[in-house]
Amino acid sequence: MRALWSKLRRFITGRRELTGDLEAEIAAHLEFEIDGQIARGIQPEEARAAARRRLGNLTRIEEHARDAWTFPPLESFAQDIRYGWRAIRRSPGFALIVVLTLALGIGATTAIFSVVNAVLLRPLPYPSAARLVTLGESDPKAEGISVTWVNYQHWRNENHSFEDMAGFRMAQLTLTGRGDAALTRAGLVTSSFFALLGARPLLGRTFTEAEDQPGAAPVVVLDYRLWAGRFGADPAILGAALALDGTPYTVIGVMPPGLRFFAGGADYYLPLHRFEGPVTDRSRHGSMRLLARLKPGATLGSALADMNGIMRRLAEADPGPESQHRAYGVFLTESTAGDTRPALLMLMAAAAFVLIIACANVASVVLARATAREREIAIRAAIGAGRRRLLRQLLTESLLLAAFGGAAGSLLAQWGARTLVAVGPRAIPRLAETAFDARVLWFAIAVTLLTGLFTGIAPVLAAGRLDLVSALKDSGRTATGRSGQRSRGALVTAEVAITLMLAFAAGLLLRNLIAAETADPGFVPGHVLSLQLTLPRAAYPGPPAIARFYGALEQDLRTLPGVTAVGAVNCPPSGGDCGDWFYSVLDRPAPAPGEVPIALFNDADRDYFSTMHIPLREGRAFRDTDRPSAPPAAIVNATFARKWWPRKSAIGQRIKFGGPYREGPVYEIVGVAGDVSQMGLGTEVYPEVYLPFAQSPDRGMVVMIRSAGDAASLAPAVRARVKTLDGNLPVVSLAPFTESLAASLDQRRFSTLLLALFAALAMLLAAIGIYGLLNYWVRMREAEIAIRMALGASARSILGWAAWQALRLSLAGAAIGILASWAAGRWLGSFFPDVAAHGLTTLAAAAVAIALMAVLAAAIPAWRAAQVDAAHQLHCS
Amino acid sequence: MSTVDDPRERLEFLQGTLEVLILRSLQLGPNHAYGITQFLEQQSGEEFVVDNGSLYPALQRLLQRAWIVAQWKTSPNGRRAKYYRLTPAGRKQLAAATSRWERFVAAMGRILAAEG
Repeated sequence: MRALWSKLRRFITGRRELTGDLEAEIAAHLEFEIDGQIARGIQPEEARAAARRRLGNLTRIEEHARDAWTFPPLESFAQDIRYGWRAIRRSPGFALIVVLTLALGIGATTAIFSVVNAVLLRPLPYPSAARLVTLGESDPKAEGISVTWVNYQHWRNENHSFEDMAGFRMAQLTLTGRGDAALTRAGLVTSSFFALLGARPLLGRTFTEAEDQPGAAPVVVLDYRLWAGRFGADPAILGAALALDGTPYTVIGVMPPGLRFFAGGADYYLPLHRFEGPVTDRSRHGSMRLLARLKPGATLGSALADMNGIMRRLAEADPGPESQHRAYGVFLTESTAGDTRPALLMLMAAAAFVLIIACANVASVVLARATAREREIAIRAAIGAGRRRLLRQLLTESLLLAAFGGAAGSLLAQWGARTLVAVGPRAIPRLAETAFDARVLWFAIAVTLLTGLFTGIAPVLAAGRLDLVSALKDSGRTATGRSGQRSRGALVTAEVAITLMLAFAAGLLLRNLIAAETADPGFVPGHVLSLQLTLPRAAYPGPPAIARFYGALEQDLRTLPGVTAVGAVNCPPSGGDCGDWFYSVLDRPAPAPGEVPIALFNDADRDYFSTMHIPLREGRAFRDTDRPSAPPAAIVNATFARKWWPRKSAIGQRIKFGGPYREGPVYEIVGVAGDVSQMGLGTEVYPEVYLPFAQSPDRGMVVMIRSAGDAASLAPAVRARVKTLDGNLPVVSLAPFTESLAASLDQRRFSTLLLALFAALAMLLAAIGIYGLLNYWVRMREAEIAIRMALGASARSILGWAAWQALRLSLAGAAIGILASWAAGRWLGSFFPDVAAHGLTTLAAAAVAIALMAVLAAAIPAWRAAQVDAAHQLHCS
Repeated sequence: MSTVDDPRERLEFLQGTLEVLILRSLQLGPNHAYGITQFLEQQSGEEFVVDNGSLYPALQRLLQRAWIVAQWKTSPNGRRAKYYRLTPAGRKQLAAATSRWERFVAAMGRILAAEG
């Protein structure tokens, strides 16, 4: 160590001493040499020259001697950076433009990447998370449906592909006896769930398999969130009882923070099998899905094949309506990201395109500058700079600029990512985990390097072709100048093409969003306050109690001043998939077991349709006579009616719940209601069946309260009435219905807005690109323009000639852009199914916008061309 | 190994030999760069011409390895010059290099002189 240090010190001091010393030493050497020459009898005046000759090239000697102390490649790299820095300082305006443009491109790309990294790429915080999968069942019509308890038992015991499996589902239970009654989120899980996620309790323990049996004593494991929040992190909670839906559960453990398996989080975890009770029917579905870890080396495909073998054996041993069911699985990372994946990938692509345009602009500017610096480069080559060294130096300059751009872009990206997280819709999973971590840093560095190479390569290619003699001889236009201009033209063409494509894509999404927001939703959402409730099992054990409560509540609310109508529904418009099931139409041939149709099933009461102003196309609404004792009635939506009876009335037709192969009641269709989309505004409407609330009461209902005035102002009174009826009943949500409708579009609004922002950025950059190109073109041709003018060309024809240079490129770009747009539209259509509808008009609008942009960008330089003072120009040259 | 001002073909240094020769020239006592050049040219019977572009880097390399040290002194004819002096390590290195060289020459000689 000491030896190394002394060596290093000698190296450093030796090097420092060398510089002045060497010069003196060589000077002394020269004197000796002169003395020697004189001693040989040579005349003093000739002796000096002879001595110089003998000594050789002084600079070279010094350089070589100094090189003995350095690592030459590193040294000359440092020198390149110094030269590059000097060149940048010489033209700060140019450098600023380049750095800003690159910062914009790199910043946008890196910001989106940091979100993509958090949501899609970063492994989930579980051990061997890459091998975790979620499993469901599939039939010929649907994928990812729930797994039945019996199937789960067989899968877990008979498979050869998984280390372990656990069942899970969400439930909402009412917590009472501790402050206000609250609707809480239960994670129902089997005992192996915790081990699969590698989660150990912070306090106490998790439950055992024996505690997860029907009839076992009820136990609960708290999530950190509930424990730290409602219970003030009290360690004495262990052993206490928690009343959930009226049943006392003993607290046996508390989980540490950060267990974010369930979307939206869980407040506590209950044993799933104990909660569900005994099940022996293989086809009885709850809503359980499975979490499983693949054995090392097993693939998802081979594992599913293994599971399907089990399913086939079960189907042979116990044939039933679900003999066609198979296992379905996706990796947990994918199912967690859900449907945000296509939107994020689209935004990532858009940001990358913006970066490409930014690069093209910078390459174009650098190229123009390289043409202007041709003489400088030629001179340096002529006085002996190695060609490779020159090229390397040009590249170093570009890399240096890119590094500044990358640094500024990284700052921009951090700010951008924070903004994205702040304004991004809550529905995007793991969005809050967005951070500028090592992976994002490497991404930014890689993008910066690529940018530097890309923007540096154009001038290097131009300089590589440089013909020294002509560059030195000709003062004006050179071969490189012309081919440089051609390359810049190609860059601008590409920019226009990409911009058109981005504008088209943004336009498509925008029109789609507007269509969704302005489409007739099938009801009148204004002036409606929606009250969501879920009645706990303990206080409301059966249908009569449930019906009594909602009946009393509606009666009560109707007496509030300003209230004009009250009706309730289980699954409100845009409420998502609240449950679908098999059915069949009597009078029609029975479908094959795999072909049984599915419809959404909903619950609505007498006044729901009139309260929401949902028109009845045929028949009647529900009546008080649709009692439990009366024949089962149903109202179908217009899509359902059209599907089966396009040309005749659906009234009086009968449908069977569950289809021909399952038990289920038969309903008579008494009415046809107008279509209302369940999946979100402006989305496809599925066949839907409404059952009368009185005949199939549901604990969870959304009570719609229509008012004459402002809906929101009714909220306190409504809340008070609920409290009077049942002080222990938590209000799940109470808000004007328009708010929850708008929230359902959040994610689309977010990605549309971002894409529009990127398209606008692209347009701005492309406009700058066109402007810069034409401006330069005019400057280079001032003499030519002057001659043309002198020969009689009018200012107008010069204007046209110059503008044509820009428009020609823009038209070529637009033509390519239209092709690219077509491809982009198809790509978008593959994950946003209702996007393609407005293709042609949007494309036309985007093309017009791009043409306008090109004209605007070309206007100033073209006008400048027409203003060239011919006499002055010709005089000067 | 410049041949600019002498038409007669001169010998080139084999790779790495210049450093050994410098060490050898300093065995007699401290000397400056010009002195080393003179010594080598005279001792080689004017067969070698020392290129200063090689000499100076070689001197720097020897300094780095601490086989020689340098010091400014006044020469007998009154000029200030940088004198190089062998260190004990340099002396050892010279001995080792000399014996290696002798073995090399002997081996070469045996091969070249052997009757084909």
